Amino acid sequence: MSEPLPRRNWLLHGLQASVAATVAALFYPVLRFVWPRAATSSGAADVVAPFRPDELRADPDGSWPARFTFNFGGQPCMVIRDPDGKIRAFNGKCTHLDCNVEYRPAQGDIFCNCHNGVYDLNGRNVSGPPPRPLEAFTVTIRTPEGKPGQEEIVVSRSA
Amino acid sequence: MRPALRIIAPVALLVGAAVVLAAQEKDGAGQPPKTAPAAKLAQAPAVADDDNSCIQCHATLTDEDQKRLLVTAQDLAADVHWQKGMRCQDCHGGDPTVLEIKAHQGKDDFKTVKSAADIPEFCGKCHADIGFMRHYKPSPRTDQLAEYWTSGHGRQLKEKGDLKVATCVSCHGKAHGSGADRAKHGILAVGDLDSPVYRTKLAKTCARCHADKELMAGREYHGRPLGHDQYAKWRDSVHGKALLDKGDLSAPTCNNCHGNHGAVPPQVDSVANACGTCHGKVAKLFEGTQMRHKFEKEGLPGCATCHNAHDIVHPTDDMLGMERGAVCLQCHAETERKAKGGTLAGAEDAAKLRKSLEQLKREIELADTTLSEAERLGMEVSSPRFELRKATDALTNARSLIHTFKVSTVETALGEGSKVVVEVQQRADAALQEHDNRRIWLAATLAPILLVIVILLAYIRRMPAPAE
Amino acid sequence: MSPAAHDAPPQDEKASSAVKRFLFERLGLESALALAAKKRVPVHRTTLFYFLGGMALFLFGIQLVTGILLSLYYKPSPDQAFESVRAIMTEIEYGWLFRSVHSWSANLLIGVLLLHILTTFMMRAYQRPREVTWITGVLLLFIFLAFGFSGYLLPWNKLAFCATGVGTEIAGTVPFVGSYVLLVARAGEHVTGDTLARFYSLHVVILPLAAFALLGVHLFLVQKHGMSVPRRVAEKHGGEKLVPSIPFVPHFLLRDMVGWYLALAILAALAALFPWELGEKADPFGPTPKGIKPEWYFLAMYQALKILPAQVGGLEWLPGKTVGVVFFGLCGLVVLAVPFLDVGAGRGGPRRILNFLAAVAVVFFIVMTAWGLTE
Repeated sequence: MSEPLPRRNWLLHGLQASVAATVAALFYPVLRFVWPRAATSSGAADVVAPFRPDELRADPDGSWPARFTFNFGGQPCMVIRDPDGKIRAFNGKCTHLDCNVEYRPAQGDIFCNCHNGVYDLNGRNVSGPPPRPLEAFTVTIRTPEGKPGQEEIVVSRSA
Repeated sequence: MRPALRIIAPVALLVGAAVVLAAQEKDGAGQPPKTAPAAKLAQAPAVADDDNSCIQCHATLTDEDQKRLLVTAQDLAADVHWQKGMRCQDCHGGDPTVLEIKAHQGKDDFKTVKSAADIPEFCGKCHADIGFMRHYKPSPRTDQLAEYWTSGHGRQLKEKGDLKVATCVSCHGKAHGSGADRAKHGILAVGDLDSPVYRTKLAKTCARCHADKELMAGREYHGRPLGHDQYAKWRDSVHGKALLDKGDLSAPTCNNCHGNHGAVPPQVDSVANACGTCHGKVAKLFEGTQMRHKFEKEGLPGCATCHNAHDIVHPTDDMLGMERGAVCLQCHAETERKAKGGTLAGAEDAAKLRKSLEQLKREIELADTTLSEAERLGMEVSSPRFELRKATDALTNARSLIHTFKVSTVETALGEGSKVVVEVQQRADAALQEHDNRRIWLAATLAPILLVIVILLAYIRRMPAPAE
Repeated sequence: MSPAAHDAPPQDEKASSAVKRFLFERLGLESALALAAKKRVPVHRTTLFYFLGGMALFLFGIQLVTGILLSLYYKPSPDQAFESVRAIMTEIEYGWLFRSVHSWSANLLIGVLLLHILTTFMMRAYQRPREVTWITGVLLLFIFLAFGFSGYLLPWNKLAFCATGVGTEIAGTVPFVGSYVLLVARAGEHVTGDTLARFYSLHVVILPLAAFALLGVHLFLVQKHGMSVPRRVAEKHGGEKLVPSIPFVPHFLLRDMVGWYLALAILAALAALFPWELGEKADPFGPTPKGIKPEWYFLAMYQALKILPAQVGGLEWLPGKTVGVVFFGLCGLVVLAVPFLDVGAGRGGPRRILNFLAAVAVVFFIVMTAWGLTE
C-alpha cells in the first residue's frame, strides 16, 4: 500500500468520526423510545369506586370478592370493610415484592400469598417478609346531590 | 332382562296409566269447569245483523225529517264498540227483534242522547262500570267519568249548563252520528292512529275549540281568560316541533300537562310537578329553592315564569344574567325590583352565574380551536378530543344546576369542566409544539447525515485507484 | 496472522490490536476477511444497478430494527392493537418516528425490490450458473409482498381491516384450493382477532425466518458466483475476467454507504413531514368505507381484477375474478421460471418474447397503478 497522503488521512478520520457520530446519535431516540413511560393514569386526585358501600360484603364462602380491588391511578386499590363496619382502602401491592394482597375477613387480616406476608387492618406489616406497611388511602362516603340512598365511596391519596 | 321383570314392568305401566286417567275423570265427567258470563251482554238476545230491526229500520230511512236518524252498518264498521260485538241495543236499549216502532217507543231501558249534557252519563253507563269493562280488559280504568266531572269541561257543563264544552265524543270521535252529521269513522280506540286523540293528533283536536276565537271569547278559568293562542304557541315550541316535526312520541302534548279526562290548567304550585314529570332533575333542584317559594307567594307559575307555558323554546345561555334578553331582568332589573320584589343579591348572582358560564364556554372553544389546528397539521389528538367531551358534559350539568340559583353549586360544577379543559388545552398545545419540534428535529438530523454524505463523496474522490 | 497460536503476543501491542488478535484467533475470521478482500465489483455502464441489492438489504435492516422497536409496545389484539399504535404515535417518545419510518421504509423497500428484479432481468443476470439466485430472489420478493400485506392489518384500522377482507377474498377465488386458503389465512370465515394474531405471527416470526433462510442462500450464491456481467460488456473487454473492477471493500462499500445515508435522510424527512396516518379503529360490523384500496404495490392487480367482467366471455363457469387470479398466478410462475424460459441466454441470442412480455408487464403495472391511485 502507498504511503498515506496527509489529506486522505484527515478525510478518513473525519469520515470515521462522522459515521461513528451518526451511528451513536441513533442510539438516543432508540433509548428514549425503549425507556418505560410514566403511568398513563390521569393523575386524578380522587376516584369514585365502581361499587357502593352497601355492596361491600364477603361472598357466602367467606372470601372477599376480587372486584373490590379497582384501578386507582395505575395502582390496585383494595377496599375492605372491617368487622366494625368501617370502610378502609389500601394500595393492594405488597411492600415486599409487589404481589397483590388479599383481605381475609375470617382471620381479620390482609395476607400476601407469595411469601406469607401478613398485615393488620390498619395496613401495618405484622408478620412475614414485608418491610413496610401498606399504603393507606383516605375513604370518604359521599351522597351525591339529589341521589339519596346511592352513596359513593370516594378514595383519595392521603396528604 | 330377567324373565319375571319382562312381565311385571308393562303390567305396572298399564295399571299406573289407568290410575292417572281415572284421577283426571274425577272433576265433572272430563268437561272444563263452567265460568259464569260477566257481562250483561250474554243476557241480550243474540241477533244477527241482518235480522237486527234497529238496523233494518234506521238504515232505510228516507224521509227528510228523519234524515237525522239515518244510520247504516257501514257507518259503524270502524267503530271500536261495533268491532267488539256491541250493537245498537247494547247502548240504546230496546228490542232488536221487534220490527216496529214499539221496539223502543215507551220502553224504560231505551236511551237516546238529546243533548251534549247527556253524553257523559251515556258513555259512563258502561265505561264507569268495572264489572262490565272487566269483560274486555283485565284491569280497566273506570274513573274517566268521575274525572270528567272535576275537569274544566265537566264543571262548566254541570255548574253552568254550558253545552258548548267538550264531552266524550268531542275528543274520542263522533259516534255514528245521524243524518247530515254522519261520521266516517265512529269512535276509535285511543291507540288507533286515526283516533282524534292519538298523540300526534290530540293537540289539533283540542285546538278545534281552544283555538277558536269566538268560542273562547268570554270564557275564563279562575278569573283568567282562556284565550285562544295555546295551540299556535305550542306548535312552534320545542315540544310541538319534537312531536310533530321530529316524530318524537315522548314529547308532551296537551294532555301530558293538563290531564286527560280531568283536564284543568296546572295551578301555580303544580306547574313544576307537571314539568317535572319529564324534567325530573331540574324540577327537583328547583323545588328546594327560595325562588320557588317566592314564585308561589307571588302567584307566579313556577317553571313557566321563565320558560313560558305553551311557547317553550330551547333555553339558551342568553336567558341567564342581567344582559338584554335575560329572563332574570323581569324581576331583578333595577327598575323592576321594587315592584316585583326581586333582590339586588339575586341580580348579582344572576350576572355572576352568566359570567362563569361564558368563561367555561370560552375555554372550551379555545381548546377546540387548538385541537382543530393540531388536527389540520396532521397531529394525532383523538384522545384529548374525547376528553373535551367531559367538559361539555360539565357545562350541560352546570346549566341544569342553574335552577338551584346558588352560585357556589354552579361554579363547582363548572370547575369540574374547567379542570378537564385545562388538561386538554395543555395536550393540544403540546401537540402543536410537537409539530414544530419535529421540523426542528428533522433539520437537526439532516445536517449530520448530509455532512457524512459530503465527506464520503470527498473521500471516495480522493481514494487511490484500485489495484487490478 | 500466524497460525502458531502458541506464540507469545508482541510486547508493545496496542489494546485495539490485542482485541482484534483475540477474536481472529478464536473465531477464524481470516477466511471472512479474505473473502471480503477478494470480492470485486465490475465497473461498466450499468454498474449503478448493482447498488439496488445492497439498498434492499439496508432497508430490510431498517425494517428489522424499527419493527423490533415497535413490537416492544404493540399489542396484537383487536381491542388493544389500535390503541397501542395510537400510543406509539402520540405518547411514546420518538414513537411517531419509528412507526412512520417503518411504514415508509416498507414501501421504499418493495419499490427497490421491484427495481432490483427488473434490472436483474434487463442484465440477464439469471443466466447459468445463477438460476437458483434468481429463484431465491423471486421467492424473496413474494415474501416481502407478504410482509407488506400482513403488516398492513396490524394497526387494526378501518382501511386495513377492509383491505384484508378484500385481499383474502381475492385469494379465495383461486380454483380448488381457494376456499381453504381463505379459511387458513383468515383463521376462520371472517377477519377477526384470530386473523390478527395469525398475521402478527406471520409478520414477526414466520416470514422473517423464511426471509433469513432464503436471504442467506441468496447472498451466499451471490458471493459464490460473483457479480454477473452483461454479455456485451464482457465481449467488449475480451472476457468476463478482463472487465475493469473495483474492490468491494472499501471502494464499492463506501459508495453503498452514500446511498444508505441518502435513504436515511429521505426516511427521516418522510417521517417528519408526511407522518403515516392512524385512521379510525376497525369496526367489524360497520359499513366498508368508500374508496378502499390496497397499498400501491397491489394496486395494479386490484385494478385489473376490478375491470374484469363478472363472467368472462359470458360463460357462467368462468367468473372474471377467478380468471384474473389464475392469470396473475401464472404470471408469477413465469417470472419464477424466467432463467429456463430464456433459451437464447447461453448463446447471447435475442430475447424477443420475454422482452416484449416484460415491457408489457411494466407498462401495465405503471398504467394500472397510476389509474388506481388517481381514481
